[in-house]
Amino acid sequence: MIASTLMPARLRSSEALIRLAALLLGLALLVVGLLLPLLTMLVKSVQDRNGDFIGLTNFIHYFQVPALVNSIQQSLFVALLSTMLVVSLAFLCAYGITRTCMPGKRVFRVLAILPILAPSLLPAISLVYLFGNQGWFREALMGQSIYGPIGIVMGMSFWIFPHALMILTTALANSDARLYEAAEALGTPKWRSFLTITLPGVRYGLISCTFVVFTLAITDFGVPKIIGGQYSVLATDVYRQVVGQQNFQMGAVVSVILLLPAVLSFIVDRLIQRRQVAQLSARAVPWQPTPAPLRDGLFAIFCYSVAGVILLVIGTAVYASLVQFWPYKLSLTLDHYGFDGLAGGGWSAWFNSLKLAFSVALIGTLVVFFNAWLIEKSDGFAPLRQGLHFMAMLPMAVPGMVLGLAYIFFFNQAGNPFNWLYGTLAILVLNTLIHFYTVCHLTSVTALKQLDPEFEAVGASLKVPFWITFRRITLPVSLPAVLDISVYLFVNAMTTVSAVVFLYNSDTRLASVAVLHLDEAGYFASAAAMAVLIFLTSLVVKLLHAALTHVLLTKAQRWRQAT
Amino acid sequence: MQSMTAALSPGLYAEVKKSDTHLAITQLTKRFGDFTALKQIDLEIQEGEFVCFLGPSGCGKTTLLRAIAGLAPQSSGKIIQRGCDVSTLPPQERDFGIVFQSYALFPNLTVYGNIAYGLRNRREDRHCIRARVTELLALVDLAGSESKYPAALSGGQQQRVALARALATEPSLLLLDEPLSALDARVRVNLRGQMKALQRRLGVTTIMVTHDQEEALTMADRIVVMNHGVIEQIGTPEEVYRQPVSEFVATFVGSMNFLDAVPEGSSGLRLGSQCLKCLPHGLDDSPRARLAVRPEDVALTPCTTGLSATVQGIEFLGAFLRVRLHLDDSDQPLLADVSARDAESVALAVNGRVGISLPAAAIRLYPASEVAS
Repeated sequence: MIASTLMPARLRSSEALIRLAALLLGLALLVVGLLLPLLTMLVKSVQDRNGDFIGLTNFIHYFQVPALVNSIQQSLFVALLSTMLVVSLAFLCAYGITRTCMPGKRVFRVLAILPILAPSLLPAISLVYLFGNQGWFREALMGQSIYGPIGIVMGMSFWIFPHALMILTTALANSDARLYEAAEALGTPKWRSFLTITLPGVRYGLISCTFVVFTLAITDFGVPKIIGGQYSVLATDVYRQVVGQQNFQMGAVVSVILLLPAVLSFIVDRLIQRRQVAQLSARAVPWQPTPAPLRDGLFAIFCYSVAGVILLVIGTAVYASLVQFWPYKLSLTLDHYGFDGLAGGGWSAWFNSLKLAFSVALIGTLVVFFNAWLIEKSDGFAPLRQGLHFMAMLPMAVPGMVLGLAYIFFFNQAGNPFNWLYGTLAILVLNTLIHFYTVCHLTSVTALKQLDPEFEAVGASLKVPFWITFRRITLPVSLPAVLDISVYLFVNAMTTVSAVVFLYNSDTRLASVAVLHLDEAGYFASAAAMAVLIFLTSLVVKLLHAALTHVLLTKAQRWRQAT
Repeated sequence: MQSMTAALSPGLYAEVKKSDTHLAITQLTKRFGDFTALKQIDLEIQEGEFVCFLGPSGCGKTTLLRAIAGLAPQSSGKIIQRGCDVSTLPPQERDFGIVFQSYALFPNLTVYGNIAYGLRNRREDRHCIRARVTELLALVDLAGSESKYPAALSGGQQQRVALARALATEPSLLLLDEPLSALDARVRVNLRGQMKALQRRLGVTTIMVTHDQEEALTMADRIVVMNHGVIEQIGTPEEVYRQPVSEFVATFVGSMNFLDAVPEGSSGLRLGSQCLKCLPHGLDDSPRARLAVRPEDVALTPCTTGLSATVQGIEFLGAFLRVRLHLDDSDQPLLADVSARDAESVALAVNGRVGISLPAAAIRLYPASEVAS
């Protein structure tokens, strides 16, 4: 007793100091990895080539060049069109999954998620094979070229579809059977229940989904790069200005313009999320669909058509990568998987991607989850914790192209103490982690909020240091969420092109960038092969993750559902 | 469930004298922004005492408990535990065990792992820990449950595991935050007695937060009644029940009749046109006062010449009858709890008239300005 009252001052400060240090480290990570690069980029956009301040001259110049301004309109056009297409398709499919008794729902859900495992370059490549000058279905375009808005919209829709489907499935799954029963008891026709109960119930999910899809569409780089042809959009303009013309200032200007719609939709989305909280009461009874052969049949046909298109697109890429010489010599070969002497770095690029993905998954999961824990579960330093939370939300508003370019500006500065990072794998890890930080952060926070708020207090009352309670209780109990985060980071690190396209060097080429270079150099079959390789890698990891989660949950079943 | 009958490790809490002060709180204030949750609380708790913080939700009782634990540090004021100033210490360095309303049992650890959680950290050897856990489990009547997970236990069992976990490190102070409120009524009554017996045998100083007056009355050595961040009264259950110092305490603990009355002299009052005797009340100068009397202290008589009332309704409540009365003279409602035998002796019937006798010792007067809740 006496000993414990003499020691405290030192012990206390040590535990609180460790938490403080961890918080400051977390903040430093986001300041260096996000805030400073973005600020540097903003500064660059108002400087000339010599680094002198010139006000808005760059922006004025930008708006005087029709070719550049045109991209704004074109970006908006393809993004809006893709958004409309994706949201309607995804809504119908989500409705089929949650509100009908159509057969084979689980199979459909698995198939519908597949596009997320591929880089956005893959559908673009497949579309070229399907509708290009030598494609099977080129007549279906009735003389229009796939290289342009048609191809961009189709490719983007394919790649963004799973994101929209996941959001809408969640929104539609939250239903209250009591409302429908009440409507039925009052003799309400089905179409009216749909308009007065179903739609209002999912309106926030629908709006949120629309903004997420729009942001993904307007910031995507992979699809327009491969299939855009002469049709330029903002994301490809950034690339062209920086890599093509070495005009970094104009790259910064386009980035700032690209940042605007993303920031705007981010703000709207956050406002909506805040409203959504009290949507569903805890007493709601989930609605169970009852069989209706005609409706179920129609939805089944529709959903499986969508799944069929997804399989066709992926299958085309796989087939194209295996064919000797499309369309003249259709015998199968593995030659295109050799990548020998071709652009892009070949298998070593794939190994680099693997290294990157594993590093991001491992480091990122721990960093993000621990930071979320500091924000949610530790006490004291409230302003720092709020600051960290705010910073963790920001990456969602920053398009990959913008983040990548911002990294060049910041880390490539002479005299920057982090300059040594430039051109290493480490900068790619940092960039990818920051790029995908927000979703992981939100997943962590949701998981942590579900825990008993007093675990930490109990640990403290038993004189157990916080890191032991974190390791023995918090982490194991949140394991499913932690695994979800790690596989999300892995897949994204494997498939992303936009941010890293500015940051690799000859030693750190990545598979996704290799796809781009192989395509640019005209090795279309090898580009398809590399894209398929990325897809298969993600698929294997995803399957391993599913198996691991299953095993862990069965093991944990003993304490999770012991009653 | 049997009573907690297991043997105790001797001398755990034996060395402290009962008369010593365990905890001394002075001028404790806690503010959340503009809201003051605790206003200059002064409180002393003796060694081995079982104290209940009682009050409606939002009265500050849990805030006070969390301040004592260091989980929600006070804005100002001092907390002295056994002569040491712990006011600024974080929870890790204070000496207490705590049981939360939710129990906060670690779901991924077995009962053994939960109870041993604080022991492992003290680098005790395995055998010591095992012996201690076995002893604690016997103490809370859960011997043999070591390898079960919390989800496999009933609410009452979980509560007892949480209690064992809190006691494992032999804290000198046990804090209980509404430990029984998540349980079924029957289990609650059962566990109430067991916890009190356990506390008495261990002699561990205990503070329990509750909003259930019955719990406080049956378990506590002393009750601290709180309202709006201040202590209304500190006293034994009997004091709090028999001599509530304010109208709030009188309303919150037990049921109470309130009547408008006029003080007359230093130990009398007038109710309508009737003069009654009471204990000295010190409200001589007030024109009006509130008379408080418990329903069970209201005696009914056949004689209707003095204070009388009309019977408006009779409720049968098993052991006694609750009679709804209306005072004829002063035109006010009154409740009386009477035994069946007494009811017979006055020939109780709805719309009948009965005489009312309010014993001087049972009457309390409060200033009229207070708002009855």
